[in-house]
Amino acid sequence: MPTIAAHRQPDRNFRYWIIAPAIFLLLAVGLFPLIYSLIVSFMRIDMMDTDTSFAGLYNYKQLFKDLRLWQSLLHTLVITAIALPLELLFGLAMAYLFLEKMPWRQIFVSLLVLPTIISPIVAGATWRLLLDNQYGPINQILGWFAGHRVNLLWTINPFLVYPAIIFCEIWQWTPFMFLILLAALSNVDKSQTEAAEIDGASFIRTFRYIVLPAIWPVMAIAILIRGLDLFRIFDIIWALTMGGPGTMTETISIYTYTMGFKQFETSYTAAIAFLVIAILTVVVTWAIRRMGLAK
Amino acid sequence: MSAALPFHRRPGNRLAFRYALAVIITIIFVFPVYWLFIISFKTPDEIFAFPPVWYPKSLQLANYKVLFKDGDAATVGNSLILASVSTFFAMILGTIAAYSLVRFKTGGENLAVWIISQRMMPPVAIVFPLFLVYVWLGWVDTYVGLIVLYTAFSLPYVIWMMRGYIEDIPLELEESALVDGCTRGQVLWKVVLPMARSGLFATAVFTFVFAWNDFLFALVLTRTEVTTYTVQVTHYFGGQSNFWAKIAAMSVLGTIPVFFTVAVMQRYLVRGISMGAVKG
Amino acid sequence: MVTRRDVGKIGVAAGLAGSTSLAARQAAAADAAQTAVDAAKQYSGQTISIVWEAGLQALDPLNFSGPKWKELTGIDVKVVEVSTAEMFTKIMQDYKSGAGAYDALNVIPSWMPDLVNAGALEDLDPFVDKYGYREELQKIAATYRDNQMMVNGKIYGFPDDGDVFVMYFRKDIFTDPAVQAAFKEKTGKDLAVPTTWAEFDATGPVLTELLKDKGTYGAGFFRQPPYTMFMFQERFRNEGGKFFDADSMKATINSDVGVKVLTDMRAENAWMPPGVEQWGFVENLAAFLQGQTAMTISWPPYGRWAAGYGTDQEVLSWVPKSTIAGKVGYAMPPGGHPELAAGFCLSVASTSKNKDAAYLFIQWLNSESTSLQRVQLPYALRDPFRDSHFTSAEYLAKWPDAKDYLAALQAGATNGLLDLSVLQTDKYEETLRQMISKLWAGDDPKAIADAAAAEWDAITDKIGVDKQKAVYGAWASKSGAYPKM
Repeated sequence: MPTIAAHRQPDRNFRYWIIAPAIFLLLAVGLFPLIYSLIVSFMRIDMMDTDTSFAGLYNYKQLFKDLRLWQSLLHTLVITAIALPLELLFGLAMAYLFLEKMPWRQIFVSLLVLPTIISPIVAGATWRLLLDNQYGPINQILGWFAGHRVNLLWTINPFLVYPAIIFCEIWQWTPFMFLILLAALSNVDKSQTEAAEIDGASFIRTFRYIVLPAIWPVMAIAILIRGLDLFRIFDIIWALTMGGPGTMTETISIYTYTMGFKQFETSYTAAIAFLVIAILTVVVTWAIRRMGLAK
Repeated sequence: MSAALPFHRRPGNRLAFRYALAVIITIIFVFPVYWLFIISFKTPDEIFAFPPVWYPKSLQLANYKVLFKDGDAATVGNSLILASVSTFFAMILGTIAAYSLVRFKTGGENLAVWIISQRMMPPVAIVFPLFLVYVWLGWVDTYVGLIVLYTAFSLPYVIWMMRGYIEDIPLELEESALVDGCTRGQVLWKVVLPMARSGLFATAVFTFVFAWNDFLFALVLTRTEVTTYTVQVTHYFGGQSNFWAKIAAMSVLGTIPVFFTVAVMQRYLVRGISMGAVKG
Repeated sequence: MVTRRDVGKIGVAAGLAGSTSLAARQAAAADAAQTAVDAAKQYSGQTISIVWEAGLQALDPLNFSGPKWKELTGIDVKVVEVSTAEMFTKIMQDYKSGAGAYDALNVIPSWMPDLVNAGALEDLDPFVDKYGYREELQKIAATYRDNQMMVNGKIYGFPDDGDVFVMYFRKDIFTDPAVQAAFKEKTGKDLAVPTTWAEFDATGPVLTELLKDKGTYGAGFFRQPPYTMFMFQERFRNEGGKFFDADSMKATINSDVGVKVLTDMRAENAWMPPGVEQWGFVENLAAFLQGQTAMTISWPPYGRWAAGYGTDQEVLSWVPKSTIAGKVGYAMPPGGHPELAAGFCLSVASTSKNKDAAYLFIQWLNSESTSLQRVQLPYALRDPFRDSHFTSAEYLAKWPDAKDYLAALQAGATNGLLDLSVLQTDKYEETLRQMISKLWAGDDPKAIADAAAAEWDAITDKIGVDKQKAVYGAWASKSGAYPKM
């Protein structure tokens, strides 16, 4: 990736000036909580005791014995691994659909952004109502297709909970991919794609060799961001199943919320947080190298 | 010409096909939102009716009036302020920071990863220490406090997204501007930002949305003065009550401003200048 | 018949009128409300904050008690509305941070051991003595008074809400000769409101069979885990179960009783409306008010709203219209010992900077005269909790069946069972919730009961068996812990 030669003296510090405010703000807001969490993770503070004596790696050792924690990570991984590619594909397809002009495109695109603007909590609650067996239209619609009343308990049946959650999640966040990719696709050099088309190149070839390299920086980052956010998925699942049945749909965020927020296992939650950061840092670093984002 | 093209390539059919697809997809995505919105006009018996009611008998605005009367609608205003202001600052600080990362590789890969690591931290773990800091600063339940917070938390997203869009901009444009005697700042302002318009727009929309949707931090860091719309909406879900009409009406109120902003600003989504003209 | 009251000014005026007549009758006795008002006047101009459940509950201090207190004493009441799910967290966080932003609190009684243990609640005994409230405290209905007020022998909260499970049934169906005849024909027994769970499981399915064509089922419940968790606690104990072995502190929820309760509960879903496993408070309410279920169990508001009391209020416009007004009967849930599910107490935060002012406000709220007005507010979620509430002539006149309603509530207050309340109760409750959700998912009842018991044991071990044993022992010795069998 080309850079501008730093040969002009007065501008030499420009690069530092423009990044300094952001770094400063990030440090100011982010540093204390990080250090606090780190220190606390070496203690044994919970709801009842504020034992601030140094407890070493006690909490971290507990992490490895905690089956529920690793199950929640697995659940999170499953949801991410299924939803992310689907959101990407649908988003890309939709971006292509709306790329060329069409009448009222503005209205369509604005409408399509709506799922993301509804507060996730409200979206979750709405879906719960929509999926309700008696008061929701989804089972009613399915009943029309099936020809008889359909009694699918989307939030109770162990076989249906994951499809329900993933569907709602994709519904809510595909527009994110859609809008970002639309912006990226619209920046692609049209002269190149037109030339390719005249030359008789198929859509796939044009996409692979011209479009994809052009939108890759944005697409890769969108994948990264969306992946990180999927890892933190909370509201939809909380509204639909509260992590149930049992702990079957409990993701790492729900588990952390229960531990940290409801049960005040402050130290243990801090340890979980660092475990999550460690895992994600490894994944992100690998992903960045792989996706060529830091060339 | 069109006769020679296959069926699916003929302009008229192609448009019709795209249109039909667009309508179907939009219906799928908008249907749940529609369902939510019409609840604001339904009576409780229509909300809890079997079979479900698809269209309410009357479109009465009583629920909306109640929200304004009780002052609940003000929470939408709070969220708008917090999200808009923080987006504004985050976009500025973040975009220029992104430029530094892209064109000067400031801090290299490590800095870039550190910046995105903010988004890896489970919010639950850091909300309490932040609360402690805010208590000490006296920033609990203030606009300033939440704006600073949202700005800071939006930065990683803005920086990383804009990195991608800025990379898309050919270096030659900037170099020729420099050769023409522009300062670095002018290059940034006059060449880069206009070229990155669509990216700026797309990024700004979701920066706003993320701040707008935040629940956890708003819950812990506010009490009564700066209640946000996300927190207010949860008040309507009681253990022994469920103000669905209010939930729906609030959601409508909260969505309209964003919807119109997106609709209006859309022309920035698609870059007007064809690259071909400049490249020559 | 049903008086229409407006929210706000008229409510206040009527309240004042009511309390004046009451005060006149109590002229001889020291009126705790008046004492509180007099003592609080010195703090005029100050503001105290009180944490209250958001939504409907908060309308009491927002529209009635807050403005009235301001009128009487000049003290501003800032109502901090918090969702029930977050109340405990916000109170704890405020305490742990030292922010001291809250003066008075609403706490759910089962949280009190944890809050007291952490140091978040103020011991109220000195204030009770200082302002002479002992006498009126005694007049709170026995079960609430003896079980929800104290931790370790000290007063930490004033019971302020008579939450209890009541069984509501369609007396028109139970007294319908055609239904009675058909029932007798099918089962050989007379149709009667069930008083045991065995009777319930025998009566319900038959009713469903007989009435299904008209769109009515034998019964419906709010089967979502957070609510069923309370129902499980109630039913389990009514059937003879004990939560722990008092000596070893081993969990005994997976005893035969526990497994039976789980099995029976799931079997019931078969004859309840399809999808009942997803029902929450409002879904269940809608079904009952629309006539879809012949029996249900829930908190007191169902009884008021089914009768149409207060549902013309704007704030209750979300309640589905009752099609069954005048047709509702009230009874104890099967087993006869209803759960005093949730409930609220008024407390003072230990980090408050205005403890006296905060205390005086809650004394005034909780007093005989003020509380009587508060539980009668048409939009109130506060249910009667004082002996005088159950016999109040004013309340009795509210709707024709009010006397049966109040009688049922009073019976519940006498026979009621407490929510389990030990150290880190939420962890135990969470296990129960998950147990219920697994039950609806179809898992084997014995297996899930065993898993739940094992989790409970793990929690107890982590907290410390001896510590928990002491707290559990104190709870189990309360009159409302286990039914006298």
